[in-house]
Amino acid sequence: MSQIQERGSTHVYKVNRISKEEMDGMVARCVYEEPAFCNAACPLKLDTRAMLKAAAAGDFKKALQIYEKAAPFPLILSAGCEAPCENKCRLCERGDGIAIRAVEAAVSRYGQASRLGGVFRTKKKKTVAVLGSGLFPLFLAGELEKKAYPTTVYCEQEDLERFLRSAAGFLDGEAFQLELKRLKGKDLAFVFDCEIDEAFLSARRDDSDVLCASEEVARRLFPETAFDPALMICEAERLVTGFGEGVMNAAFGAKKAALTVDRLAQNLDPRNMRGSEGAIESRLYTDLTEADELRRIAPAGEAYTAEEAAREAKRCIQCHCEECMKSCAYLKHYKKYPGLLSKEIYNNTQIIMGDHQLNKPMNACTLCGQCTVVCPNGFDMAHVCAVARRNMVSTDKMPLAPHEFALMDMLFSNGEAFMSRLQPGYEKCRYVFFPGCQASAIAPETVKAAYLDLCERLEGGVALMLGCCGAICDWAGRYEMQESTREFLLTELSKLGDPVIIAGCPSCRKELAESVGGEIVGIWDVLEEIGLPEGAHGLDRPAALHDSCGARGDAHTQQAIRSLAAKLGVTLVETEYSGDRSPCCGYGGLTAYANPEVASEITARALERSDAPYISYCMACRDRFARQGRESRHILELVYGTDAGAPPDISEKRYNRLSLKKELLWELWQEETADMKLDYELNYTEEARRLMDGRMILTDDVIAVLNDYRETGEAILDSDSGLMIARKRLGNATFWVKFTESGEDAYTVHGAYSHRMNVVRREG
Amino acid sequence: MAIERNYYTIDPEGKLQCLKCRVPLVKGKAKFMYLDNGFPVELPVCPVCGFVYVPEELALGKVLSVEKALEDK
Repeated sequence: MSQIQERGSTHVYKVNRISKEEMDGMVARCVYEEPAFCNAACPLKLDTRAMLKAAAAGDFKKALQIYEKAAPFPLILSAGCEAPCENKCRLCERGDGIAIRAVEAAVSRYGQASRLGGVFRTKKKKTVAVLGSGLFPLFLAGELEKKAYPTTVYCEQEDLERFLRSAAGFLDGEAFQLELKRLKGKDLAFVFDCEIDEAFLSARRDDSDVLCASEEVARRLFPETAFDPALMICEAERLVTGFGEGVMNAAFGAKKAALTVDRLAQNLDPRNMRGSEGAIESRLYTDLTEADELRRIAPAGEAYTAEEAAREAKRCIQCHCEECMKSCAYLKHYKKYPGLLSKEIYNNTQIIMGDHQLNKPMNACTLCGQCTVVCPNGFDMAHVCAVARRNMVSTDKMPLAPHEFALMDMLFSNGEAFMSRLQPGYEKCRYVFFPGCQASAIAPETVKAAYLDLCERLEGGVALMLGCCGAICDWAGRYEMQESTREFLLTELSKLGDPVIIAGCPSCRKELAESVGGEIVGIWDVLEEIGLPEGAHGLDRPAALHDSCGARGDAHTQQAIRSLAAKLGVTLVETEYSGDRSPCCGYGGLTAYANPEVASEITARALERSDAPYISYCMACRDRFARQGRESRHILELVYGTDAGAPPDISEKRYNRLSLKKELLWELWQEETADMKLDYELNYTEEARRLMDGRMILTDDVIAVLNDYRETGEAILDSDSGLMIARKRLGNATFWVKFTESGEDAYTVHGAYSHRMNVVRREG
Repeated sequence: MAIERNYYTIDPEGKLQCLKCRVPLVKGKAKFMYLDNGFPVELPVCPVCGFVYVPEELALGKVLSVEKALEDK
């Protein structure tokens, strides 16, 4: 038996199959982290979406906390803000946008103010003086208090109420009192009755580290000096100040000014490290199809009550782009959007020493490409995972365990079970039928019927090649095996005179087109041309068509299959996610081997689309659906009137391939192959077969263990269970078989298990 | 020096027998090896021929979890 070399763990290679820049470019396609449109439109960067979510849940305390991050005086802001967010609300495209400002006002009124400015906060050492009155000094003082700068406000007014009135005289009585209370609660020092002139300013320059002033004070004292509106600073005088009219301007100016103060206080250039400021454009994608509450809640009085505000906030559809996660069970399982997951998987490939914690997610993607189709920006998770797998193989960090069974199965398909023959009576064939390894494993009768039909109805001769196209090693990232498979297939095809390949499976077709090239058609194309054979008939009840991921982006094949189904008289039911948007059945990318749990979720998701029987055109899909208990048929079973029946277990799949080869070789080419008969009797309990299938233990493995036992007599007896237990190291694993013996030459297997670690006796 | 670990106890003693040598297995020294790593352990061993027995619960429990941890290193 051939063997795959297990990796070592002592050497270190560094290989980058994908550059950081390329990765960043890919990650940027994912817009999940983009701000909501309302949030992006707000110069104050209010997380409107989160605030509305809290308000919708009736949690006004939390909503206010979010609002206060953007607005230290929420009632003033909500009363005077121009609300650029409201026009950007996506609901405007279908009806009324959310009344964000009115909800903000309710949140400010009914929410409980946070108590951030308490005595326990560590204050910064540098002090700030704010001179003058009005909206800008008020907001700036609020921002500086949030940043924990000891701040003193010097104003001409004689008390706090007059100071606040100079800024927000437009507030009504109750709101004014609430904001006054809020201002009193802030950790700010006030000096009233100040006469602000040059001497006063110069004295403040001496007793504080950073000096700020209202626009009025700045213009009065330095009428000739230029101000920088981006930094809110008069650099010549090292004076931070505000400009412009209106509440929003003042609030945004105060934010920029507070950042400038921050930089100046640390003796840093205020131009640098400012991050993103002001409104931006969002690249977020929002699906509006499910938006149904399109009309604004009208307040019964002048303003929203808490209950009305919550109802209005509930209309918010919480813009998020989750198109891929809605459709892909793999992304749903890991609860990570592809931008983040890709970054983590990329980092996983870069780890030289330490745990590769993302191996499992990297190997759980089916590489089906559905995300690329459903993503508004074409994010290609399959590419990320496929490159990452190859990268891990290049650095010898890829564990063999998740893929070894599948790879060994491929070696079996292209070894013991492989066959390639010209049609009897021909010295050269125009075609070669390549049904694919899964078709021979799952529906050998169908393969035989299809081959005989092609031989009969096609002119020029049809050769037969039973083997694997190489998709298995491609999916596993084993690029060296992929290359050797390509060379092997090229040689075999050349022996047949390089005929046109008739693929029986869309994934084989795709893989072969990329590897060996040449002219390749699908058997569905041929059947379209030559028509259905006699006796072909569809199902007598409506069925759902599952498009294979191998045919994604291949409208021609998808159409040919539909046309075949129509000719067979099958009534197809429409399903969500069909055609290019079809999900994977769970077999692709070797997920079924590397991560059976995720594979089951993927299969279940694919089956959620319809309760009808499923018709597929890839044998692996047929098998996955049948294994989950759904009536599942490959379209060729309908074409040839065969029924592959219940899904075979892993040993039967191998047996089927060998039997098909043996049968065809004998019947068509009169070649006899060695008998596979054992010289003893071997039975399995049902439980043993079930365990073996789940644990990926073949009957061949069991036979190897028992052969060894018969030769060496090495085994133990467990007197508790009365079972004998023998073992043998086969390739990279040790297999243990629990059995009973009846007479010399009859055994019943009760169980089997394996481990990859090698165990040896230790002396001393 | 690495600590020897014992993950399995033969209970009752003598319940496991080497069929070839017709003697009960005893607690003995063994070593697990995987991906260039070695772990000294104590396992049921035949005192005559040295057959080392890895019980199913150990193979599918501790051994599997250590394998997985090493595979991801």
